[in-house]
Amino acid sequence: MTPAETPVLEMHGLTVRYGPGCATCGRSGWVRCPICGTVRGCSSVDLEVYPGEVLGIVGESGSGKSTVLACANLDLAPSSGCVVLAGADVTGVGGSRRRRLRTEVLGIVYQTPQQGLELDLTAGGNIASRPLAAGWRSYAKVRERAFELQSAVELPEDRLDVCVRDFSGGMRQRVQLAKALANSPQLLLLDEPTSGLDVSVQARILDLVRRLQRELRMAMMVVSHDLGVIRMLADRVLVMHQGRVIEHGLTDQVLQDPQQPYTQMLVSAQLL
Amino acid sequence: MSALSEMARSARRGRSGYNYAYLDESAKREVRRAVLKALCLPGHQIPFASRDMPVARGWGSGGLQISLSVVESDDRLKVIDQGDDASMNARALRALIADTAEVETTTDAREATLIQTRHRIPEDDLHEGQVVVFQVPIADPLRVVDSRASITRRMHAEGDYSAIWLYLYEDLARLGASSFSHSYPVEVQGGYVMSPTPIPRHDVPRLDGAPFVSLFGAGREATIYALPPYTRVKPLAFDDRPFEVESFAGPCFRCGASGTYLTEESHQGEAVLVCSDTDFCRRRREGSA
Repeated sequence: MTPAETPVLEMHGLTVRYGPGCATCGRSGWVRCPICGTVRGCSSVDLEVYPGEVLGIVGESGSGKSTVLACANLDLAPSSGCVVLAGADVTGVGGSRRRRLRTEVLGIVYQTPQQGLELDLTAGGNIASRPLAAGWRSYAKVRERAFELQSAVELPEDRLDVCVRDFSGGMRQRVQLAKALANSPQLLLLDEPTSGLDVSVQARILDLVRRLQRELRMAMMVVSHDLGVIRMLADRVLVMHQGRVIEHGLTDQVLQDPQQPYTQMLVSAQLL
Repeated sequence: MSALSEMARSARRGRSGYNYAYLDESAKREVRRAVLKALCLPGHQIPFASRDMPVARGWGSGGLQISLSVVESDDRLKVIDQGDDASMNARALRALIADTAEVETTTDAREATLIQTRHRIPEDDLHEGQVVVFQVPIADPLRVVDSRASITRRMHAEGDYSAIWLYLYEDLARLGASSFSHSYPVEVQGGYVMSPTPIPRHDVPRLDGAPFVSLFGAGREATIYALPPYTRVKPLAFDDRPFEVESFAGPCFRCGASGTYLTEESHQGEAVLVCSDTDFCRRRREGSA
């Protein structure tokens, strides 16, 4: 990480409110406004992800980490603040520009494969969908790319033309990963990538993700409630609580020597 | 058309006692307006107020409404169903248009000015000034990839056709060939992707740069789209997997033509291949094609 480089992703003062909003909302310290019932998904989040760096976001359910990820994936337009992707302000973009950014700059792996994959298509088809969206029109090249990725994520060779529905959970996550990597994204978003898997498969997938990240020197943002995942993947970590970033720093530093009471509780609550 | 001639026309009742060309004048005007819009945006699907017709929806009611709206009394009409002038459905539609609009009919595609068709483009080389009206069952080429009209409308609007390319990829990966036997999706003038109705692949290249006007009417789906003359029409295909038309084992059993679209028929208990365009086949046998 060299600070002189342009960050792949920047968020400045990112605030997302779910609800109509009222005059009191902004001033009150509540997560849920007592007057209009508006819920604050996250407030005044600032973050940067540099090329080749892995940023972890950790926090309990409802802490706002998925809201931040949804903003990074351009699913959600922030109520205030801005999102800068690869040097360009993309706050609130939609339509074909958003589609282009998702095709060329971003890749995402969701917690459940149903979100990221078409289960009725073959593994190869799911992977191929991204080069095709980027305008590849040679069948041989698309096919070759699918084979490359399939071996990169260690899928058995003979399963490329099999429906994803017939795959196990771990295999589906591998397909999701291959699909996300298909267009060599500048930023890979991982939303609880291993939460639905058993422990041994989790470890193998995390190993794979770490290896690919090192090989491709790609920036990643990992959202997880699992400190093990964060510890294994992230260079830096943000701890979120009630929509705010309460602590941030190098992963080892934050997890070894947490300053905030909430972080201390989170670290000590880990199952061993 | 001037308002006066419009009035003169509506005053003159058809033989059957209906208004000229069956539909009332405001209905025809609405259909013509949709046709004009469709011609201005080749390949784009224009909604129109599809009327209840004396044929069931799905039996050519969309094509029929267009034909009745554009027909003029000096037109010569040809109606075919799968290339056949004599099928029950073609006869019924032809009789309705001819009776109410008082037009001459013909089976010769070369001299017809208005051709309503289902599943085929006549084998003859058509020329400028001819109008071909297609009966369309499914208007949206993206229906196969997503059944939700709200989603496919957005895809068309954004020019996001990756889903249909993915469909082509899946066909090649699983089957080794395209599964579209008819309605092969085409790109119109480098823009919209369009379904050329259920015409076989054989007829698809004949739409490219065609000198005639193509009007597509989907009655059940209340949609009209069109190709003006000399429009570029390109079937979607990977660069290294070119589009292919059907190939047949042997020439027409009746007229000996090769290179025409053939269908299977029973001849003395044996399956034989014959031209699907019956009138073209007949004229070839009589030596006048």
